[in-house]
Amino acid sequence: MSDADFDGTSVGEPVGFDEFGCNPYAKNPDTPDFLKPDVENTRQFYGFDLDLPGGEEIEIWSFRDPDARKGKTWPGPAIRVTAGQIVHTKVKANKGTHTIHLHGMDPTTFNDGVGHTSFEVNGNYIYQYQPMNPGTYFYHCHKNTTLHFEMGMYGLLLVDPVEGPGYALRAGVPVKYDVEANWVPDDLDPVWHELHHNAGLCGEDVGLNDFNPKYFVISGVPNNRTMKSRKVRVDATLGDKILVRVLAAAYGVTQVKIGLDAEVINVDGRVLGGPLAPWSQPFTIPADETFELTGAQRYDMLIDANEVGDFNVKFTFLDWIRRQVQANGAGVAETRIRVKA
Amino acid sequence: MLFYFASDADGGFAAPTLRVTQGDQLTVHVTNGASEPHGFSIPGAAGATIPSIAPGETLSATFTIPNGGSYFYLDPVNHPVFQVLGLHGVMVVAPAEPTTPAGVITPYSRDRQTLGANAVFESLGTNSPQMPDKFPGDPWIAEFGNPAPKHERIWVFNSIDPKFNLMAELGQPIDSTEFVETNLPRYFTLNGLSGFDASFDERTIPKGFEGEPSLLRVLNAGLPTFSPHIHGNHIFELSTTNATGEVVVNENVIERDTWTMAPGDRKDVLLPFDRPSDIPDAAWPPFEEPFPLKYPMHCHQEISQTAGGGNYPQGLITDWELEGPLSARS
Ligand SMILES: [Cu+2]
Ligand SMILES: [Cu+2]
Repeated sequence: MSDADFDGTSVGEPVGFDEFGCNPYAKNPDTPDFLKPDVENTRQFYGFDLDLPGGEEIEIWSFRDPDARKGKTWPGPAIRVTAGQIVHTKVKANKGTHTIHLHGMDPTTFNDGVGHTSFEVNGNYIYQYQPMNPGTYFYHCHKNTTLHFEMGMYGLLLVDPVEGPGYALRAGVPVKYDVEANWVPDDLDPVWHELHHNAGLCGEDVGLNDFNPKYFVISGVPNNRTMKSRKVRVDATLGDKILVRVLAAAYGVTQVKIGLDAEVINVDGRVLGGPLAPWSQPFTIPADETFELTGAQRYDMLIDANEVGDFNVKFTFLDWIRRQVQANGAGVAETRIRVKA
Repeated sequence: MLFYFASDADGGFAAPTLRVTQGDQLTVHVTNGASEPHGFSIPGAAGATIPSIAPGETLSATFTIPNGGSYFYLDPVNHPVFQVLGLHGVMVVAPAEPTTPAGVITPYSRDRQTLGANAVFESLGTNSPQMPDKFPGDPWIAEFGNPAPKHERIWVFNSIDPKFNLMAELGQPIDSTEFVETNLPRYFTLNGLSGFDASFDERTIPKGFEGEPSLLRVLNAGLPTFSPHIHGNHIFELSTTNATGEVVVNENVIERDTWTMAPGDRKDVLLPFDRPSDIPDAAWPPFEEPFPLKYPMHCHQEISQTAGGGNYPQGLITDWELEGPLSARS
């Protein structure tokens, strides 16, 4: 057992207007109801400059894994666990306060990473959770989120079924897949990337209601390289089963069009259909039919590589009010699925 | 300046919620207290339209109340200008025949029910006919006609660009195309409140113990496509509307933590008040961490989390509270 102490957090203290927004509680408490973990990982703030088409560079904030040799990535390194494991994710907030919210996980309030209901972390905190539902989640900073999420502070959190990586549950039944692709479409407004960590928190108008994205990425790769990048493009062999996960990270409506039939088997970390979900069932999006996702939604899809060729995948980023394509029509990112004989 | 509907009985700021029953005849009398023409309509309710009411004039509409579900009443004049400037409210319709063939109560009438939505309601509660182990506790408890139901919340989303409110105040005409094309909202509201105020508003925050499921009637009066995200539980997306505004119960009821609310959307979702699934077994109920467990619901198009160009999280957000585990219920 830990020395649980809720003083100086939103759990142990009154939350007034100030603590709700401008001045949330910041602390490094012990994790309450501490258990021995099956898996431990650490994520730490880091920043870098991203090269964009046309030569502009903008600052990105991400998470790195200080224990990994190639731990500096954007999106942050995926956390990959198996359903049923007790997981400890430690956040190290070495530049100002941050949090980790395990989006789609349903943990306790203290492990939810939201300042106004718990606390922001000004050193270390270990988030404790036991993912029970296989599927696609993500972790992200929940401090000044409008800015910090746009700055890039997110990474995937993947929960494999007990059969392990390489299997996904379709209507409750494990299905083996051969190829896995993770696509995180996002849109970037360079003006926002000049702002400081606490911008706007205490009354200033810093324009965080005025979002005009100019650059478009998939999984951190700018759209002039998404056709070629190994992080984005998919290479499969005839007969393969492909698992595609999409996380919509843009602030708007993201249209997705895939050149092959895709069966949606999991939404937001919940398996569609089967004996444990009699209210739903998997559904197929026909090849080249557009579907839409809005901020933070996830689809897990199975695609059968049953035809040889190059199949286009197109993401179109729409404004949240007018639905016009962002950046005067430039808000598009494309890649492809190549199926070889 | 904001416009609003007020009733004779309730002169409060927020538009009064109409709670009525499917199949009844309803007559609505609308008096225009403003200095320009306004109108009245209920999308999805045939005959519930008054196209134009002159300043000072009172006109009426009589209509048969449509299918069980959640509706907007609003001013259709100069659409969507007056609706977004505040002229909207909610009509909750109790279904004529709420039970499923298995005898479980739902918010929808028998002829509109789907196997998917019925499977959700028939799985709730310790004695549920479908999955008695899945959601221990109560079934969804309907409180049709109760003006302050415990197991239901109404969440109305809106957006405010104050430059148009100023034009209205100055009596300047507002062109609907310009209103949409140049709208840059600075405020985002939930039931007319935002941020801190919405997060502590008793009418807005769902509260209950494990096993006390709640119906959330979510309606978007504003211009953006919002993406509400809930922490602590996933919701079941029960209903939507078709092009004529009719309530459509979903066949495929998908569990989500984030759902889409396009302009004009009305969606009912069910918050199961389930034990949060990813709290470790060995830590449930939590021994050290106290109840209530508090979780936010906020829009994940994070632009909407601002007020006046900053001030995160003073935008479209509220909380919900899990007061205790099933074992602690009185
Ligand atoms: Cu999130
Ligand atoms: Cu959140």
